[in-house]
Amino acid sequence: MSVSPTPDGKILILSTISCADPAADAVGQAHLHHAANTYVIRVPSPVLFPDQFYYDCFEKGFAGIIVMSCGHECPYQGAFERLTKRIDRVKLGLKERGMDPGLLRLTAICTVCTKAYVKEIEDMNARILAAEQAQAETATAAVGGDAA
Amino acid sequence: MAEHIDEPQSGEQPREPERPAESGEQPREPERPAESGSTSPDEGQAPVPEEMAAEEAAVAGGEEPRIGVYICHCGGNIADVIDVEQVAEEAAKLPGVVSAKTNMFMCSDPGQQAIADDIAELGVNRVVVAACSPRLHETTFRGVLERAGINPYLYEHANIREQVSWSHGDPEQARDKATALVRAAVAKAGGLTALEPVRIPAEGAVVIVGGGVAGLRAAGDLARTGLNVTLVEKELVLGGRAAVLDKLFPYEEAAADVITRLADEVLEDTRITLHTGTEVKNVDGYVGAFTLTLRQRPEGVTLAADPDRVARDVAGLGWRYEPFRGYGPASAFDAATPGGDDAADTAASAGAVPAAGETPAGGDEPGAGEPAGDESAGTITVKAGAIVVATGYEHYVPPKGEYGYGRLPQVVTLVDFIKWLSEQPEGGTPTFNDKPVRAVAFVHCVGSRQVDGVHKPGPSGHINEYCSRVCCTATLQSVVDLKTRFPRVAAYELFQDIRAYGRGHEEYYERANKAGAVFLRWDGAQPPKVAKTKGDDFPVTVSCIDGLTWGEEVEMGVDMVVLAVGMTPADIGGLGSSLKIPTGADGFLQEVHPKLRPVELSVTGVLVAGACQAPKDVTESCASASAAAVKALGLLATGHVQLAPFVAHVEAEECLGHGHCVAECPYPGAIAMQDYPDGQQRAVVNPALCSGCGACVAVCPTKAIDLNGWSLEAYESMVDALLASGGEVAR
Repeated sequence: MSVSPTPDGKILILSTISCADPAADAVGQAHLHHAANTYVIRVPSPVLFPDQFYYDCFEKGFAGIIVMSCGHECPYQGAFERLTKRIDRVKLGLKERGMDPGLLRLTAICTVCTKAYVKEIEDMNARILAAEQAQAETATAAVGGDAA
Repeated sequence: MAEHIDEPQSGEQPREPERPAESGEQPREPERPAESGSTSPDEGQAPVPEEMAAEEAAVAGGEEPRIGVYICHCGGNIADVIDVEQVAEEAAKLPGVVSAKTNMFMCSDPGQQAIADDIAELGVNRVVVAACSPRLHETTFRGVLERAGINPYLYEHANIREQVSWSHGDPEQARDKATALVRAAVAKAGGLTALEPVRIPAEGAVVIVGGGVAGLRAAGDLARTGLNVTLVEKELVLGGRAAVLDKLFPYEEAAADVITRLADEVLEDTRITLHTGTEVKNVDGYVGAFTLTLRQRPEGVTLAADPDRVARDVAGLGWRYEPFRGYGPASAFDAATPGGDDAADTAASAGAVPAAGETPAGGDEPGAGEPAGDESAGTITVKAGAIVVATGYEHYVPPKGEYGYGRLPQVVTLVDFIKWLSEQPEGGTPTFNDKPVRAVAFVHCVGSRQVDGVHKPGPSGHINEYCSRVCCTATLQSVVDLKTRFPRVAAYELFQDIRAYGRGHEEYYERANKAGAVFLRWDGAQPPKVAKTKGDDFPVTVSCIDGLTWGEEVEMGVDMVVLAVGMTPADIGGLGSSLKIPTGADGFLQEVHPKLRPVELSVTGVLVAGACQAPKDVTESCASASAAAVKALGLLATGHVQLAPFVAHVEAEECLGHGHCVAECPYPGAIAMQDYPDGQQRAVVNPALCSGCGACVAVCPTKAIDLNGWSLEAYESMVDALLASGGEVAR
C-alpha cells in the first residue's frame, strides 16, 4: 500500500482502549501501511484531558491531534457528549489563537474501522501539509520583502 | 550497551541512572471509599467505610525508579523491520533505565525469566516491554512482575508490532517511531506508583433480570455453584420469545421441551427465588453490594428459596407449558384478565414469601445497613453482589403497509406463520382463513439491514441497519418444514443474502433447495413489492427484481406472504438508566469489548446475557448466559470483589473543594464532598462506584484528582517524550 506524502509535523493520536486502539492494532494486522509520523497513546477515555492539554500539545510541537473515541458506543456514560463539547470549545480556542481548528479532529473509530483509521491519518496529513506549505510561502514572501 | 538475550543472563552490572528521579516523590495510594454521612476524617486522610477494605497500596515509597526495558524481536515480526538493537541502545541512555535488552520472544519463558532476573539481580523496580499489542501480553508481563515480587502495576507496555513494524514499511521511520514510543513508555513508567486492586466484601447472591432461555440458563448455572439466585421475570410466564417458536434449529428440538427443561431446573432448585410479573424499578449500590427495588404486579407469583416449595408451590400452582405462550402457573393462563381475582388469589396462595436477603413491602424493619422497604404493596428489595441482565428482545413489528402488512390479511410475520403451520393438520392442503394455501412467499430482512432513504425510521428514530442474523436460518427452517409436510405447496424465498452462519444452518438451505423452494435475490435498494391481486387465481402478487436472473422482474401469485421479521432491542424501562448501562447505536446493550470482555457491561458487576446484547439464536443466548454466570461466579466466589485499581483518586492536600468533579461525574455517589477537620470540604472517591472514565480529571482546577495508572501527568510526560529529540535515533 502506498503512503501519501508525509509532512514534517507529527500527529498525536489519542485512542480509546475499548475501540480505537484495537482498530490501530487491526490496521497493523492487515498491514495497511500508513504514515509513520503518527504517535498513538491509548487512553480509557479522552474525556480525561482538559482543554489546556490540547493547547500544550500543539505548543510543544505536535502539528495535529486526532482524538479517536468510541463515539456513541463509549462504554462510559456521557463521556462522549462531554468530550464533544470540550473539543468544540478547544477548536474555538485554536481559532482564536490563529490556528487551523481542523488540526484537532474528533472522530469515532470502532475496533474494526481500519480504513477509517488510515483515512483519518491521511486527511490530517493533508491538512498539515497544506499548513506547512502556507507557512513556507509566507516565510518566502517575508524573505523576499526583506530583500526588496 | 543494550544487550540481546536469547537465554537469560545474569551478572550484568546495573547502569547508574543518568538523572536521578525526582526526590521525595511519594507513591499514590488509592483513595478509600467514602460512606455517605460518615464522620469527619482525620486530617489528610479519607474516611473508610466499614464494609469496604480497600487495601493500601504497597508502594515502593520513595525509591528511585530503576527501569528495565525489554524489546521483543517477535521472531522476525518486529526485528525484520525495526533494528531492535538500536532501539534498545537508545533506551539504555534514558534516565532511570538500568537495563535495556532484546529477546527473540519476550513472552517466552526465557524472555520472562530475563525480566525476573533483572528484578532480582539489578533491582529493577519498573518494567517496560516493547512488543506486540498490550491486549495480548500486558497481563502476561504484569504476572512476571508479580511473581518476581514487585507490584504488577509498575509496568508499561509499548506496542511496536501492530502499531509500528506491521504498519510502516520504512525501516528507519519504523525504528525512529519505536524509539519514540519506548521513550514515552519509559517516561510514564518512571512516574508509576504501585497499586492494589480494590477489595470490597460481596454478597454471595445474583439477581437475574429476565426469565427467557438466557435468564433460565444463567439461573440454573449459578444456583449450582452455591450462590443464591433471584430470577425476576416481567411476564407471568417463563420462556421469553423462545416460547413463540415451534422447533429450534439446528437439531429440531421442540422449544417446549427446552424451555420446560430449563424452567424445571429453576423451579426445582431451592436456592433460586423466582418473581414473575415483576419489574426492576431501581438499582442502588455497586458490585458486591447492589440493592434492587422490585415491583410485583398483583397477579405475579413469588417462589421463595425453600426446600419444601416443590411440593407446596410448584405442584400446587399447576406449572405447565402452554404452546406459544410459555411456562407458568395455571393462573397465568387461566386468569381472565390480568390482575383479576384469580390472579390475586394465586399470588396470595403462592405465599409471596420473601427470600433471604429480601424485604417485603410493609414487612419487618430492615436490619442495619439494609435499605428501607417501600411501603407500597408489591415492592420487594433484594441485595445482590452481581446482576445479570437477560431482558431479551422484541420482534420487529412492520408498520402498516410495509409489504402489505396490516392491510392484506394474507401478509403475516414469520412468528405468526410458525404458529399457523404447527396448527395445520397433517396431509391434504393447508388452509389460511379457510382458503387453501398453494403458494407462499417468504420475504427476508424485514426490519433488518434497512437502507436509508428506502426505509422510514421506526419509533426509535432510526432505521435498523444491522443484520438480525437468525432470521435467514429460521426462514429456511420454516420453508423446509412447509415443504416436508406439504410438498405441493410452492415456496418462494426472496432474499438479499442467505446468512446461514452457524453449525448445521447451511444444511437448511440445501434442504430447502432440494425440496424445490425457489430463491430470488433482491437488492437492498429495491425491495420486493406486495400487492392485492385483482381477478386472479391468487389473492396476492409479489414482484421482485431478481439478481439471480440478471435483473429480470419476476412476479408470482401467492396465498400467503411471510415476513421474516428481525429482532429489535426490548424496552428495559428504568433498568438502563438506573444502572447507567450503555446501549450501542442499534439500541442493544453494549458490552465493554466484543472479544475481550464480551459479557461485561461498563458497570462492574453487571453482566449481559442473551439477545438483549445483540441478535442471537437460542444456542448463542444460552452460551452467553453460561459465560455471564461464570463471570458472576468469578466475581463473587471468594466473598470479596477485586476491582481494577484504575479509578480516580484525590490528593487531599491539593483539593480546595471546588466540587467541579462531583458535578462532572456521571456516576452518582462515585465522588462526594466531605467535611475535613480543618473546615475544608474535599472530594472523596468511592472506588467501587468509580468507572475510571476520568471526566473528573479534566475539570479539576488544582489537578487534585487523577486516575490511578492513567494520570494526566503521565500523559503529559509521554507527550514530552514523544517530541523529545525529534523522535530520531542519535546517529
